[in-house]
Amino acid sequence: MDQSKKIRVLIAKPGLDGHERGARVVAYGLRDAGFEVIYTGLRQTPDQICSAAIQEDVNVIGLSILSGAHLSLTKKVLDGLKAQDADDIMVLVGGVIPDDDMNKLKEMGVAAVFTAGTSVSKIASFIKENV
Amino acid sequence: MKDQMEDIKNARDNWQETVVDKRVKRFNLQKSPTRFFTPKDIESHSFLEKVGFPGEYPFTAGNNPFDFWRAYAEDAAKMGYRPDWGGAGGVGKYGGFGTAEDYRDYLKRMHAMNRKGGPNIAFDLATQCGYDSDNEMASGEIGRVGVAIDSLGDFKTIYEPYTGDLEIDKVPSNFTINAPAAVIIAMYAVMAESRGIPLTNLKGTPQNDILKEFIARGTYIYPPKASLRLFRDTCEFCTRKMPKFNINSIGGYHMREAGASREQDLAFSMSNGIAYLQAGIDAGLGIDEFAPQFTFNAFGGSMQIYHEIAFQRAARRMWARIVKEQFGAKNKRSMLIRQPITAHIGCISTTRQRTINNLPRAVIGGIAAGMSGGIPGAFPPFDEPLGLGHSQEAVQLQLDATRIMIYEAGVADVNDPWAGSYFMENLTDEIEANALAEMDKIKKMGGAIHAIESGYMARAIAKSAYEHQKRIESQEDLVVGVNCFNTENEIDVTINRVVESTYDPQLMETAEKRQIEKLAALKRGRDNTTVLSLLNTLRDHASDESVNLMSDICECVKNDVTLQEICDVLRDVFGVHMGSDHA
Repeated sequence: MDQSKKIRVLIAKPGLDGHERGARVVAYGLRDAGFEVIYTGLRQTPDQICSAAIQEDVNVIGLSILSGAHLSLTKKVLDGLKAQDADDIMVLVGGVIPDDDMNKLKEMGVAAVFTAGTSVSKIASFIKENV
Repeated sequence: MKDQMEDIKNARDNWQETVVDKRVKRFNLQKSPTRFFTPKDIESHSFLEKVGFPGEYPFTAGNNPFDFWRAYAEDAAKMGYRPDWGGAGGVGKYGGFGTAEDYRDYLKRMHAMNRKGGPNIAFDLATQCGYDSDNEMASGEIGRVGVAIDSLGDFKTIYEPYTGDLEIDKVPSNFTINAPAAVIIAMYAVMAESRGIPLTNLKGTPQNDILKEFIARGTYIYPPKASLRLFRDTCEFCTRKMPKFNINSIGGYHMREAGASREQDLAFSMSNGIAYLQAGIDAGLGIDEFAPQFTFNAFGGSMQIYHEIAFQRAARRMWARIVKEQFGAKNKRSMLIRQPITAHIGCISTTRQRTINNLPRAVIGGIAAGMSGGIPGAFPPFDEPLGLGHSQEAVQLQLDATRIMIYEAGVADVNDPWAGSYFMENLTDEIEANALAEMDKIKKMGGAIHAIESGYMARAIAKSAYEHQKRIESQEDLVVGVNCFNTENEIDVTINRVVESTYDPQLMETAEKRQIEKLAALKRGRDNTTVLSLLNTLRDHASDESVNLMSDICECVKNDVTLQEICDVLRDVFGVHMGSDHA
């Protein structure tokens, strides 16, 4: 992509999960790493997240989920993007994700899954290399 | 005495120069990587004023000379009984999933394995946020992080195995519920009435700590002021009707999990505590009528063993002084930080990398707990970061680690073993002073409610969380297996967790559908005219701040009004909290 343009990232908290630490830290970290970052705040439906991503013309959506509802919520976001021809937006998932589900998320179309203990710089490099 | 201090100071300066500085130079360092403390570091220390005796004001040395669990620890070992050390007296392991039927059956299985503690209920996120299971917002979340409760019927189902020896006035209940705490407390009271159990006999603890939800945990519904009004109503209801039941469980631990520094944790939770105490006073209650039923939930949480011990000491002293000096309490029990565990490492300290390392980590937290007036509980089980639900193996190892600390190491055989340590007293004073300075800042903002409404507390914690992350990424803070000792020189140790999953995944998958069907049947079968009329009364009363809403909520619950229907009426009247400022 055009390197003069900043990569735009939407950090989103789908569902009712209120654990925000990871989302906020990644949002701060990516901003410091030179990305344009938008954070949705808590309790966003998959539809709201898709609309925000399209309106804000982001390159990447980072979903933060620690409630165990990651499979169904992520699928809804991916389906929503596809329905609006916006599946070129890269979707990343972070949170408490069991090993078995990591593969399931990738099969669904998630570009990468980052669990606790991942450094923000690793996430930043991944985005830079893959967008 | 003064001469002695002078001598110590001179000797220390001399030691610094001739021993320490020399060695620092020899190793080519900027400064010494260790510290040493002398009487000079606690020069004005007054033992009676700052420490005192275990069980006496200001409770720095502990709430009691020995706690309930300690009195029976030896008997428990010899009788082959399996106490859940770390749980509050008599309460079972925190849990909940699926529908009420699923969780009831799980509890029955636990009882068959002789794990008969009182229900310690985790509610699913829909319930915690005041939504019924058929709400679009809750889609995918039903029965995930806890059990789904839509109506009194669900609540009663959970309690079906609790009869006879396990009758609800014989075992205490715990409810991790905040925004809709009034509804859950009402369900519990109404259920007791229907069983013919006097409310005055009921024991248990609702979390009922809504203020920290705005700062850390995120399951709020209404704006802070209206939320505090609901707290006031539950506080009065519990005090007047269920005097043995605890009113709340104030958390600092959640803030720490969200990234708060030690001082923020202490200052914010004490400031919240003051707001709750004031709410009780505003309800017309005397401080010693209700403050004895306040509890706390595992203040603290980090790997820094010395700091966490000092933190517990400082917290006890601060709270005792607030309740006594600011609110004029006379009853000792009002002044205590009563909490199921004291120090611990916090789930945030556990790592997914080489997960079994979380066991020694938890033991360090347990040692800190045992040395700071609590059960030396190895919390949490090592597989905490792997996903929801702990394996039976991890729980077994957690319990054994706790037992090893109690019986083999004798960690909890001495009260406040660090009392009088130059270092520990200095550190306790320092943590207290920093927390008091932060509390003063909040007081100047107009108190906890204002500091929450303005987003100050949430922002401060988010910034601390980011600072922490930066320290890890720059290797200023070192975490084994995460940002150091993570090369191919190490062996990636994994543990087989060959156990049946605690919660049946099939049931988890189908819980949402089953719960929605049950809810639809309930709405078809009940007297909907009564439901509407009760909700209208609730609405009228909610608009009048002077009215206590608990009797209205009890009536609603009794007539199968659902949790969301009650919360929706209150949403209409109170409005909703839109989230904290994240700028």
